[in-house]
Amino acid sequence: MTDRTSIELDQFYPHAPELVWRALTTPELLARWLMPPDGFEPRVGARFTMAAKPIEAVGFSGTVACEVLELVEPELLSFSWDDAAAAQPSGWVVSFALRPEGRGTRLLFAHRGFDPDSPTAQLSRTIMGGGWRRILAALGEAAADGGNGA
Amino acid sequence: MPHRGKTSSTDRLFGALANPTRRDILDLLLDGEQTVQTIADRFDMARPSVSEHLRVLRDTDLVREEQRGRHRYYAVHPEPLVGVRDWLSPYERYWRARLTDLGEVLDDLAGGEQP
Repeated sequence: MTDRTSIELDQFYPHAPELVWRALTTPELLARWLMPPDGFEPRVGARFTMAAKPIEAVGFSGTVACEVLELVEPELLSFSWDDAAAAQPSGWVVSFALRPEGRGTRLLFAHRGFDPDSPTAQLSRTIMGGGWRRILAALGEAAADGGNGA
Repeated sequence: MPHRGKTSSTDRLFGALANPTRRDILDLLLDGEQTVQTIADRFDMARPSVSEHLRVLRDTDLVREEQRGRHRYYAVHPEPLVGVRDWLSPYERYWRARLTDLGEVLDDLAGGEQP
């Protein structure tokens, strides 16, 4: 069994991969849907930071430090994703893979590399493993029924 | 990465869920309650092994049992997952929202490029 330590999402956009690629790799456009990047360039090895809202629930300080790892126009963009305030690199990688589909683009997104030993990673792997969406759906029903096991 | 203070019940939950067989059992139980024998048959496992997995799941309250007649029926009890979901969901929620925003940016770009 593959050890999955990732969040994976896929989304279809009714737009050509070239357009999606532009939105992924143009700083002014990144700013509009992700965060304003500081130092982003569409080349492997480019380092940049992004300022976001802190996410207290996961211990995120609010500044992300990234490095472009893969860049294959207009197919694949990946960059590392670290909390700039963290003492150790997280090993997290965020990737966007583009697949032409009909007249549009299917975007396969992944946030990978959760450290298998960290509690967050164990949790992520666990919850994102097979069957979890169904379990979460069941959970939603339980919540709707007013179930409260806490 | 800061750790949360309250780990014991979460740790047990992780432990219970870390095992792929137990996740498969939970998945099966989502289709409806089952007896140990049914689960054992389904996974081609010896009953004692199934019982052990069910014990772990019961200990974390992910599964509940009910005796009816000669059989014990096991059913999913998902409430303990509330905390787990609430803990992880910021990331997934975050990225879903970003991908939705990306779609709006794309719509704008495409609209602006119509001749």
